[in-house]
Amino acid sequence: MKHAVISCLHANLAAVKAVLKDIDQKGISDITCLGDLVGYGPQPNEVVDLIRERAIASCQGCWDEDIIEGLNACECSYPSQLAEKRGHLAHEWTAEQLTDINKDFLASLPTSIRRDRILFVHGSPNSQHEYLLPDMNAFAALERVDKAGADTLFCGHTHQPYVRELKNGSIRVRLQNTSNNNAEEKEINLPMRKIVNAGSVGEPRHGSTNATYVIHDDVTGEVEIKEVAYDIELTCQAIIDAGLPRIFAWRLSHGFEFAEQAEDASHVCER
Amino acid sequence: MGQKWLISGSPGCGKTTWILNTIKENQGAYGYLRLTEKSNNGQEKLPESLIDYTFLKDQAPHLQDLSDCPDTSISKYKDLLILIELSQSQSPEELEAVGKNPYVNSQLEALNLQLDRHLHFGRDSELPNNDTLVFKELASWSLNLAKSVWDPQSLNTFWFELVNGAYGDVYRAKGLMNLPDGKSIFFNWIMSQKGSQFLPLKTVSPPHGRPKRPSGLVIQGKGLDCKNIQSTINLCLLNDALLEMHQMTLRDRQSEALRTN
Repeated sequence: MKHAVISCLHANLAAVKAVLKDIDQKGISDITCLGDLVGYGPQPNEVVDLIRERAIASCQGCWDEDIIEGLNACECSYPSQLAEKRGHLAHEWTAEQLTDINKDFLASLPTSIRRDRILFVHGSPNSQHEYLLPDMNAFAALERVDKAGADTLFCGHTHQPYVRELKNGSIRVRLQNTSNNNAEEKEINLPMRKIVNAGSVGEPRHGSTNATYVIHDDVTGEVEIKEVAYDIELTCQAIIDAGLPRIFAWRLSHGFEFAEQAEDASHVCER
Repeated sequence: MGQKWLISGSPGCGKTTWILNTIKENQGAYGYLRLTEKSNNGQEKLPESLIDYTFLKDQAPHLQDLSDCPDTSISKYKDLLILIELSQSQSPEELEAVGKNPYVNSQLEALNLQLDRHLHFGRDSELPNNDTLVFKELASWSLNLAKSVWDPQSLNTFWFELVNGAYGDVYRAKGLMNLPDGKSIFFNWIMSQKGSQFLPLKTVSPPHGRPKRPSGLVIQGKGLDCKNIQSTINLCLLNDALLEMHQMTLRDRQSEALRTN
């Protein structure tokens, strides 16, 4: 059966509506959201309301967590002073706007959703703040998936959609037996694992301004990355009307993230 | 030598670069002076003059700055080749008409300067014919950044946004930016040329507090969103505590390097 996976909505209502319409038109009713419903964008309540109304199963993203638990859930996540100050501004604005009901909803979200051997997370199984980049060391990537007991891991957070197959992995271990001075060598072959990044609905960072999501067929294992055009001008105007920094509108309309991505994006949050 | 040359042209046409190359390629003593096409109403020296002179002086330490000379005393420098820079942001048909600009003439007269040559970009073949854009009206915004130090990564983002049109149609941007490690970088960008020029000054300040060298930013273009340029810059500049944090790390590293050498 086909199901859709969306991530990183970032309070961009026009983008969320366009993606959900695209999914509906394909006759897909099973949708999973990987979090970051809010943050930077101008319609946090509207987006959370929509996800609640449609009862879309969602994980908690790093922004959803920060809004509930307070700023600096991960102090190392901003690559520059400018990004940090803009992020704080967006955080304060979003926290002020969100209704208590919607805050409670975000607080209630799980950090992961499991369906048999498929795991859905925002960043990585370790943390909502960890980026699983497409060129991450293969062994480290395999470790993240295998340790979580998953064959396929769906994640977001990087805003760059990709499908990465980790296959032909093996670990060779040489054990020195001190009692008989013999060396024993073992080779452990690892089965194929897959990481699927759903990209971003509300804050694309893949070289285009289109929203992205993925469709997964859990019978064939096939994954399709989908791009959906939406009315960016509508969201940009909403950013300006809301009194958020105009630069957010400019960055969104040019396909740049609201704040820069961390230089060391593969860092593991020590929190 | 005792010559006085006026080098004029539109912003970004390559006046400062040509002056620097002339100084570097030739022996002799040089003086530098910058005229303005409009009255500055007695305000402090414009950031553009500070940027250009600081950059030139760094690259050619023997250059003499004549912009602070009292009126009429410039004529004393009889052995200097005095290069006088004039940036013109009038419409193209007025670009050559230096002689018709009463304010430029009044500056020359006040300094008792009789020009030996006037070289104009786009007219005189001995000057490079750089590809500059034709414009009819140009807004200009400048900021004196003396003692200001940038967070380096924030500066990258700001400059990227600036030259890609986030704050209006920028035709030209030029700056001299201080970094916490004591370096100062000359930033130069013009719409008609590919990419920005980033040239570190040869002179580096010690990583102790705020640098004393001039620093500033000049932006020319249309529909400039000056309010948001200023507010973004404010978010990029380091406060005393953060500057000290950056510099302390650097000083520790320098001490460690000295110990191990």
